[in-house]
Amino acid sequence: MNERHGGGDWIGRSAARVEDQVLLRGGARFLDDIVMPDLAEATFVRSPLAHGVIRSINCDAARALPGVHAVYVFADLRRVLTQDAIPLALPAGGLRFDVDPTCLAIDEVCYVGEPVAIVVATTRRIAEDAAALVELDIEALPVVVDPVEGLQPGAPEARLTCPDNLVARTKVDYGDVEGAFEGAAHVVRETFRLNKGGGHPMEPRGVVARHDELTDQLTLWNSTQMPHRAKAMLVATLGLSERQVRVVTPEVGGGFGTKAVFHPEELATPAAALLLKRPIKWVEDRFESFTASIGEREQIWTVEAAFEADGRLRGIRGTLVYDHGAATPYGIALPFNAATNLIGPYILPAYRMLIDLCLTNKTPAAPTRGAGRPQGTFVMERLLDRMALRLALPRDEIRRRNMIAPGQMPYTIPVKQRDGSMMVYDSGDYPQSQALALKAAGWADFPQRQKAAREQGRFIGLGLANYVEATGRGPFESVSVSIGPSGQVVVSSGATAQGQGVKTMLAQVVAQVLDVAPQSIHVVVGDTSATPAGLGAYASRQAVTAGNAAFAAATLLANKAKIAAAELLEASVEDLVIREGVVEVKGVPGHGASLTQIARALAGTPGFALPGNLPPGLSAASDFMTSGLSYTNGCHLAEVEVDPDTGGVKILRYVVVHDCGRMINPMMVEGQILGGVIHGVGMTLFEWMRYDREGQPLTATLADYLLPTSDVAPRLEIHHLESPTPLNPLGVKGAAESGTIGAPATIVSAIEDALRPLDIRVTQLPVTPPQLRKLIRDAQSSELRP
Amino acid sequence: MKRDHISFIFRGARVDLAGFSPHATLLEWLRLNARATGTKEGCGEGDCGACTVVLARASDGALDLRPVNACILLMGQVDGAEILTVEDLAEGNTLHPIQQAMVDHHGSQCGFCTPGIVMSLFALQQSAQGPVTRPQVERALAGNLCRCTGYRPIVDAAMESCSGPAQDRFAAATALRLAALAEMTDSADVFVGTSTQFFAAPASEDALAALYLEHPDALILSGATDVGLWITKALQTPPKIIWLGRLRGAFTAIEAGDKALSLGAGLTLADASAPLITLHPDFAEIMRRFGSAQVRASGTIGGSLANGSPIGDIAPCLIALGAEIELRRGSDLRRLPLEAYFIAYKQQDRRSGEYLRRIIIPRPAPDRAFRAFKVSKRFDEDISAVLGAFHIGLAGRHVIFARIAFGGMAATPSRAPQAEMAAIGIDLDAPATWAEALTAITLDYAPIDDARASAGYRTLISRNLFLKTLMEISGIPAEITRISGFEVPHAAE
Ligand SMILES: Cc1cc2nc3c(=O)[nH]c(=O)nc-3n(C[C@H](O)[C@H](O)[C@H](O)COP(=O)(O)OP(=O)(O)OC[C@H]3O[C@@H](n4cnc5c(N)ncnc54)[C@H](O)[C@@H]3O)c2cc1C
Ligand code: FES
Ligand code: FES
Repeated sequence: MNERHGGGDWIGRSAARVEDQVLLRGGARFLDDIVMPDLAEATFVRSPLAHGVIRSINCDAARALPGVHAVYVFADLRRVLTQDAIPLALPAGGLRFDVDPTCLAIDEVCYVGEPVAIVVATTRRIAEDAAALVELDIEALPVVVDPVEGLQPGAPEARLTCPDNLVARTKVDYGDVEGAFEGAAHVVRETFRLNKGGGHPMEPRGVVARHDELTDQLTLWNSTQMPHRAKAMLVATLGLSERQVRVVTPEVGGGFGTKAVFHPEELATPAAALLLKRPIKWVEDRFESFTASIGEREQIWTVEAAFEADGRLRGIRGTLVYDHGAATPYGIALPFNAATNLIGPYILPAYRMLIDLCLTNKTPAAPTRGAGRPQGTFVMERLLDRMALRLALPRDEIRRRNMIAPGQMPYTIPVKQRDGSMMVYDSGDYPQSQALALKAAGWADFPQRQKAAREQGRFIGLGLANYVEATGRGPFESVSVSIGPSGQVVVSSGATAQGQGVKTMLAQVVAQVLDVAPQSIHVVVGDTSATPAGLGAYASRQAVTAGNAAFAAATLLANKAKIAAAELLEASVEDLVIREGVVEVKGVPGHGASLTQIARALAGTPGFALPGNLPPGLSAASDFMTSGLSYTNGCHLAEVEVDPDTGGVKILRYVVVHDCGRMINPMMVEGQILGGVIHGVGMTLFEWMRYDREGQPLTATLADYLLPTSDVAPRLEIHHLESPTPLNPLGVKGAAESGTIGAPATIVSAIEDALRPLDIRVTQLPVTPPQLRKLIRDAQSSELRP
Repeated sequence: MKRDHISFIFRGARVDLAGFSPHATLLEWLRLNARATGTKEGCGEGDCGACTVVLARASDGALDLRPVNACILLMGQVDGAEILTVEDLAEGNTLHPIQQAMVDHHGSQCGFCTPGIVMSLFALQQSAQGPVTRPQVERALAGNLCRCTGYRPIVDAAMESCSGPAQDRFAAATALRLAALAEMTDSADVFVGTSTQFFAAPASEDALAALYLEHPDALILSGATDVGLWITKALQTPPKIIWLGRLRGAFTAIEAGDKALSLGAGLTLADASAPLITLHPDFAEIMRRFGSAQVRASGTIGGSLANGSPIGDIAPCLIALGAEIELRRGSDLRRLPLEAYFIAYKQQDRRSGEYLRRIIIPRPAPDRAFRAFKVSKRFDEDISAVLGAFHIGLAGRHVIFARIAFGGMAATPSRAPQAEMAAIGIDLDAPATWAEALTAITLDYAPIDDARASAGYRTLISRNLFLKTLMEISGIPAEITRISGFEVPHAAE
């Protein structure tokens, strides 16, 4: 409780989540749980080929099937569209071609799973049967599967409209890179291949579209992370006004980036609903999750790092080839994140990374938890491990020698960000973070344990990695708080929730100011009709942006309540505090006006003046505009055991030291870290979206593309540091992706440590048992085998 | 006696249902017909567990609660059971202790996996006899994926709330439940539908044999952990289905003799586990890693052999042990060695109207060693890249007998004749004598490349598993490196 202004002490507490009751009872309404009269169901006919030209689509048999309402191809939907393409691409200077997707393929298909026609029927089963009757005649074209090969002269074109596959070229470049290498005592070189993976929320994507004739409003219930952006896309492509479009998210079963991008089905379904004049539901099946939903992660790095004799970095240079898949829904953001996040918590005097983005005939790439950063961190941490080995320096020591000191904060790196500002680390104590992690994981006496284990024929290893994460990306988020005569506190925000506990977070912030129970607050998120402007969930940003907006809005509301109460209580505003939802005179408990009473007074009585001549209503709204990114940081340590015979890896223990500034709800922060780390474990050991040479997906079920299961999940030990950011009043930073960013680098460091006698170097992710077994065999020395 | 509907209990009331399509799934019925949308669909193929519900049945006078994947369970298979879903657990405003523990430990983030997880834990709690251990919890959750929480909070919630014996209102109502289930029990042959489209569930083998002879084109359905996927993923609509789940007697019997173990083909993998483990402790891990608790609760040992899968886990183990199977057609019985049943890729020696009835497995003699290893990318609920089973006879320190079988190495589960021959005469104390046999095994198979493993990896693993076997039986402690062999204890509890 804040002595001066009153209010509660909710910020910083692991309060129970306001979301949980209904989720645990199975009463939550997710997208597929929505029903309404006359609801038809849709399925998509999709390209079975990775690249081809559509010669004909014959829908007659499908249309004739009883129960089928319609089968539409692009030309049909075009009647309600104002333009062919979905104007997705983020503005990015480096893009050479316009490869925005269309809601259905027009004449060329560029990946397996690209939607070609939409079939609408009374039930999904019938729609699926009808889809099988659509005769697609596609002339196959050569495909680009590997981005490195795709950039070679003479490579086939992934898209006929793009004369080569180099969709963008950009770079990160500062300092005297040549000088750094010329005078270097040591140089390490390596090539890394980091493979494609995905977000794979347990709830697939889906939409329900309904056009209401009476109000002339199109409502799209959408399992999305960004409803306001979806609305903007619908307004732009359907020629409707803002008033005519509403996008609402029901309960959303996870996002992880997959649901941040506006996908073709989010336009095709409402367009079909407008044509057909009836509501339509479409829910993705798991095969579509693998083929039609964005994924990420494929990057090929060729890098070299120059060091001083004592292990300090002089410079890094190299090239990064990025597989963008068949379209560019996110511009150049991902490889740029990867390249800049490479720098991490270290002093890197000179740096040049040339980035080539290649179009391929695979599902388009867009941010997936970590959004390129895990890869950058992986590369830097591998380089440091290599150098440590060469210099016979302990791996923690080489990092210590390169770290930015707390006294150097704020620390500017001469790299321009998406918004034009320089990259500035705002706060954090990196050496302390590593020191704490080393201590917690028993770094100092691990060599003894390792030796003992090796004597028994066991291969255990300990790995570490440090990282930063740019969080709280702008430009803004909006929140309004209102209390009506019923006394119900309602918070609405453009923020959205996919399981992070956004509602609880906002309720806690507001509860902090108004001193009411968070559980009593009603939070509305993810509804474009509840907040005129909003952005949503991406870049670990909502506690920063919406959290601070909620704090400001609640504070404005509290001030208004105090002015009104001053009049009602005949007291001076300075003497008033808010305690348990009541505005009262400081030191005179019981003498006060409840927020409900004030709300009633401010609702107005016909013919009477409002208290204090205030504007009507007990409500306030605020927008939080960011002034820069806030950098979360952390250090991970993992202990693993490797079975040299099978290449199996078991994580025995995992320690995280995490600093995301001030925590609003530590329990939920830990939830984000845990989930993030396991996502990183998956990315490191299992998850690999594979394609054959023809661009056919090989791993399109959860039996072939493996997610971590509970036995894989290590016992995680989390320690927090709290270095508040000066960039926002609450001092908070984001926490949703950092777990994933640190994990691959850490686990691979541990695997290499376990297999040190064989001098194994992991340069590819994931490290599945066959991959690792091959490395072991290639390196095997006689001491291992009888 | 015939019955033209199925009967089950839902939300405390008996339901007699005749109007359902033979290939409708339980999940469809729950979500679309009963509008019980708490149960979710995350994949429709048994991999994610979001659709987990619990089926309660009476078994030998006790109540048996099992978690199943509603997405691949056909509606007819709930005959005689009570269906319990997440909506059944809370009592008014009070959450069930498992649900409350999930809240307290922050075991739910987006909540989409939550109903399935809660139901898997509910089945665990109801069957627990004492405190639950972490490995037990992990075992119970192997078939439930969660992308949000990292599992630890869920495991912690389970550790707190799933210890038995349960003392909740469900435990208190056991007698009432049993009585309600008993009331539905009859010995009728279920036949729902017409002669061209039906779901049938004969109650006796004689009725089955007759019905199958009459409709040899019908699809035999056991646990549906394979067949369910043909329907949900391959979009097949088999019009005639004969479900074996109402058969009792020899078809589900366990006959544990001194020399041999006989298992009825209808035994679920869950029920077959304990007798199989009596053959050799290595079955413990093979069975624990077979699919998930949900798959083992529905899937049957007969189904796992009958389907002829080249990557099935049970067949290689039983081939190595020299098992035979018994088939029945009309009133004809015939027996054949299990390996002879597998002719070619997904082609079995099964005649029209014939079904698999029983598996007879000789017990390994005291002077014989057995080892079985499953190698997969993920420890739990993952399909084998390679499964190797080794049955080795010793005279002193010399190998005098070897029967080796592999899954994942060929188009059918099959033996390694060259390695078996070359193994004879191996001296356990002279590893130099192992080399020929180790090389021979790489010649026995020509495995394929696929997304699970490359041919090279498979070949290498087959050799390494053989080596591991020889090391273990010769006394070199190779267990210690068996990450995919034995559970590694958790370092920090
Ligand atoms: C998520 C998941 C995980 C799995 N994991 C594994 C695993 O780890 N290891 C593994 O080996 N398998 C695994 N499987 C495969 C499958 O579960 C097994 O093969 C299973 O045992 C099949 O048994 P069932 O009773 O469900 O057969 P069903 O699906 O009912 O039938 C399978 C086939 O066998 C026929 N059939 C069944 N019983 C008889 C009989 N008595 N006589 C004649 N024909 C019969 C049916 O007609 C059908 O063709 C997995 C499956 C799933 C969905
Ligand atoms: S829906 Fe995934 S297992 Fe049933
Ligand atoms: S809580 Fe989201 S998948 Fe488990």
